Amino acid sequence: MVVALVLRVVHAALTELQRLDSRVRRELEQMPEGMGYAVETGYRAPTLYVRWSGGQLQRCAAAPPAPCCALRLKNLPLAFLFCTGQMGVAQAYARHAFTISGDVADVMKLARLINLVEAYLFPPLITRRIMTDIPPLQVNPLRVYGGIAFGFLCNRYRLSR
Amino acid sequence: MNAYFEFRNAVKLLCGELALERIPSELAALGSERPLLLSDAVLSKIGTLRLVQQAMESEGCPPAQVYTDIPVDSSLEVVNRIAALYRELDCDALVAVGGGSVIDTAKGVRLVLSQDTDDILALSGVENLPLGAHVPFIVVPTTAGTGSECTGVAVIRNDANGVKMEFLSPFVEPDAAVIDPRMTLGLPPKATASTGMDALCHAIEALTCLQANPLSSAYAMEAIRLIVRHLPEATRRGSNREARFAMALASTMAGIAFSNSMVGAVHAIGHALGGVCHVPHAVAMTILLPHVMAYNAERCAADYARLLPLLVGEERAAATLPAERALAAVEAVRALSARLSELCGLPLSLHAAGVENRLDFPRVAAVAVNDGALIVNPRAAGEEDVLAILNAAF
Repeated sequence: MVVALVLRVVHAALTELQRLDSRVRRELEQMPEGMGYAVETGYRAPTLYVRWSGGQLQRCAAAPPAPCCALRLKNLPLAFLFCTGQMGVAQAYARHAFTISGDVADVMKLARLINLVEAYLFPPLITRRIMTDIPPLQVNPLRVYGGIAFGFLCNRYRLSR
Repeated sequence: MNAYFEFRNAVKLLCGELALERIPSELAALGSERPLLLSDAVLSKIGTLRLVQQAMESEGCPPAQVYTDIPVDSSLEVVNRIAALYRELDCDALVAVGGGSVIDTAKGVRLVLSQDTDDILALSGVENLPLGAHVPFIVVPTTAGTGSECTGVAVIRNDANGVKMEFLSPFVEPDAAVIDPRMTLGLPPKATASTGMDALCHAIEALTCLQANPLSSAYAMEAIRLIVRHLPEATRRGSNREARFAMALASTMAGIAFSNSMVGAVHAIGHALGGVCHVPHAVAMTILLPHVMAYNAERCAADYARLLPLLVGEERAAATLPAERALAAVEAVRALSARLSELCGLPLSLHAAGVENRLDFPRVAAVAVNDGALIVNPRAAGEEDVLAILNAAF
């Protein structure tokens, strides 16, 4: 349940940061139309499927068609560490915590986005432990939290059809 | 130390005198009668390939076909073409004789065949493939640098965007690698020096990357010791078999090290430089290594200090103040490159390597930050950081 919630929050944070952080906006806007990402966390475990379409990062019910890059965490305990700020992206890679299907270059883009999301969502006490370098924040994290809360209230992050 | 690590080296190593002559019995043990021999035109022309063919023919195991059209920077298309040829000729094994490009191409071919597909592009990823069918595969490296004979990665150029793609899978590793000193005896001094520096780069990055572990570090340290001791002599006097063999072993050990701990920013930027500016891989490694070491020095102070006795000797290392050891290690690597440059004219700057201006650097930086090697570099690097390194190396 924690993993499922965090995956929803990651999508919500990316949606908000597209507006608030120029680096997130740049990464997203450089994606080809229809580019998809799948984050899977184990057998019958929570997933996050997103697709860049019409200038928005849409959440999908199933894995998007190609081009799609899939990052699969090898089991749920690893996904828990990954989603709760106990293991960063680079650490997860170094510990063989996930497999990648697709172009590694696309995963690097996703890794940068996740690092930015974590920098906003987690306090420095946590980010210092899980990142080699913490990206500087462009806005107060409270604005991101506030945006996410408001977005959930307005059902802004619903599944796209 | 990492809270969790994995280590793998499943390659059988056939090392030393008359190692080439062991290929037929090794192929027989793998159940092969119709091997496809892969190499390049240069090795065919200078007679190196002939040595392998003779060793195979003398024991009644001639190749079903010899394919030598593998270019310096091989591409996905070449891989797919060779896989089709293999099927057409009904071959039952791959024997790759060459440097990094030939070996990585052969790895790609093996991946395509074992996964029963026609297009390697469909297989891109990291540790994402199942075992697949077994395709017997033997590698004979002809340079002492890439270490590719023992690594679980193939780097192949995608002609569609000019970017070098990485295919990471333990199943690209060959069944056996043949380390025969005869294979590198004819290597010219400049190629000896640059490929040797490539091996040094593998070992140093393996020692300092986020994925480093005690086993990979042990291989890396021994590789560095051998390289520092034997590379100048192998460059100066290529006929010295002891130096050649030591370098071949060092390259293999560095390969085992970085296959398990990965490489970092030197390779990320080097791959991009190769793809965009066509700087040969080993030359790019030689030029970039001290610059990236300087960039990483603050984060890698302890590891670089560990390196110092191997680079300058115990006495000089002990006489260096602890706080100065990391930068002293960077300077020692710079001095080694300069010494090799004096011996053989090895280029020490990107300008000397044929990069005429800095106009392509933004494109190189944009490609480099998307290279998988950057994720385990001990210090994060964005496009601005990569540009600064490129400008310093120009």
